[in-house]
Amino acid sequence: MNTSGNFVVKLGGWGLSKILGLGRMGMFLIYAINGLWKPPGKLISTIKHIYFIGHRSLFVICFTGAFSGMVLGLQGYYTLSKFGSEGLLGAAVSLSLIRELGPVLTALMVTGRAGSAICAEIGIMRIEEQIDALKCMAIDPHSYLISPRFIAGIICFPLLTSIFDVIGIYGGYAIGVLLLGANPGAYWDGIYKSVGWDDVYMGYIKALVFAVLTIWISTYKGFYAGVDSGSMGAEDVSKATTDAVVISSVSILVADYVITSILL
Amino acid sequence: MTSEATSIISVRDLQSFYGRRQVLFDISFDVPPHCIFVIMGVSGSGKTTLFRHLIGLKPTRKNAVFIKGEDISEWKSSDWQKYWQSIGVLFQSGALFNSMTLKENVALPLQVHTELTSDIIDVMVEMKLYMVGLSGFSDYMPAQLSGGMKKRAGLARALAMDPELLFVDEPSSGLDPITAAGLDDLLISLKDAFGMTVIVVTHELESAFKIGDYMLVMDKGRILACGTPESVKNSKESRVRQFLERRAEEAGQDMEAYLQRLCSVRSR
Ligand SMILES: Nc1ncnc2c1ncn2[C@@H]1O[C@H](COP(=O)(O)OP(=O)(O)OP(=O)(O)O)[C@@H](O)[C@H]1O
Ligand SMILES: [Mg+2]
Repeated sequence: MNTSGNFVVKLGGWGLSKILGLGRMGMFLIYAINGLWKPPGKLISTIKHIYFIGHRSLFVICFTGAFSGMVLGLQGYYTLSKFGSEGLLGAAVSLSLIRELGPVLTALMVTGRAGSAICAEIGIMRIEEQIDALKCMAIDPHSYLISPRFIAGIICFPLLTSIFDVIGIYGGYAIGVLLLGANPGAYWDGIYKSVGWDDVYMGYIKALVFAVLTIWISTYKGFYAGVDSGSMGAEDVSKATTDAVVISSVSILVADYVITSILL
Repeated sequence: MTSEATSIISVRDLQSFYGRRQVLFDISFDVPPHCIFVIMGVSGSGKTTLFRHLIGLKPTRKNAVFIKGEDISEWKSSDWQKYWQSIGVLFQSGALFNSMTLKENVALPLQVHTELTSDIIDVMVEMKLYMVGLSGFSDYMPAQLSGGMKKRAGLARALAMDPELLFVDEPSSGLDPITAAGLDDLLISLKDAFGMTVIVVTHELESAFKIGDYMLVMDKGRILACGTPESVKNSKESRVRQFLERRAEEAGQDMEAYLQRLCSVRSR
């Protein structure tokens, strides 16, 4: 075959494998959702995952939340004071946090902390034949490994986002009001007047979508670590983990834009 | 050997591929019930691949593998669930869940598939661990066990549901001769006392001839010999003799020449 023919064959093969991969990923989600109603019981394992995804992320979320709020307070005060409208600081800080930064930064932090760990854990189970062992015990690996993580993610992401928002708003208060001297009454009043339920909904819808995306991508990458290459080695797990973090982060940002443009 | 009708597993002209590379060629054999069936062969001859076909982890073409007379390629997921509940599998690596203690590993299938109370499950788990010589280790994590202990723990887990068909991939690799002999005795008593059918992959000749009722010798993805231990022992096939007499590949002499060459290079 000539070289251009070869190229077309390769391109076709690549395209097909990508499409098959997407199909497999879709089926993976369906199996995981389907697994919610299958035995074994999920209460205990879900609680364990809530502890891991939620509780163990708390420190990181509080820390990043505080500094995001503080930098918003700083930047907001500096910009607004140019127009003499420091009174809008509360509205600016809270709206940016609740609509955008809260859900996005929370999701990115949890992806980095828990998503990578979830992917590595499941990937190791794959290469050590533990997933095969589950199958041969007639325990559905989707139901046993994936579904509880989905429940835990869907519970944790909105809660972590709320915590991030609240701490961020106090961070903005600390810098804008306590340090730079904006009016405290105007700060809280601005929040009260400007933040509506639709802003809060938007934040939560984002948090839920990001939860599904992060858990889906992380578990999928781990579950199929090394399956396509057939090598089943440690490097497959590390590659899967890197992929999981990168793809989750990118899709969080893309989904953020899409949701914002739909809901606005 | 028995016919397709009475055998518990029948394999007919099984071919197997990884990508485009064929690793099993025209494999056919029958496993009669209540026996120990040993699969032997040098490393890389395709034993684990054959094993994975039999336990349903590698998709099989039509009319290649029959279990109790049913073509497994036509099984639906409910048939697989039923089959998987009736077998026990020990993987070559042990495949213990490393976030759980030994006790939890062995208890898992019981917790999922039975309604037993936790007291009874505890007793059963203790019993299985005792059978493989690991009583007293029930609270250890897999990472705290030696390689041979992981193997035995994997066997305890495979036995948890008292399966009628037991698949074990190299149970005694990594074990000392005494523990390995104990494991052989365990497999024999499982067959005799519980009527289990046991399919064992091994390269230990001695243990294979001790426990095997039937054996299959594989080489490079093909069957070299298949039948009772006597018939395999008396086989005239040169590769079988070579395998049984543990001779290295023809290269024996070349090896010596190679070593001499190496030494002469160093002494120069
Ligand atoms: N995942 C895989 N992808 C590609 N080739 C594989 C894979 N697993 C095994 N093989 C190939 O298939 C052949 C048979 O391997 P298999 O694992 O069945 O051997 P084995 O008889 O179990 O060897 P051992 O005694 O060392 O366990 C080998 O040549 C191996 O290279
Ligand atoms: Mg093997």
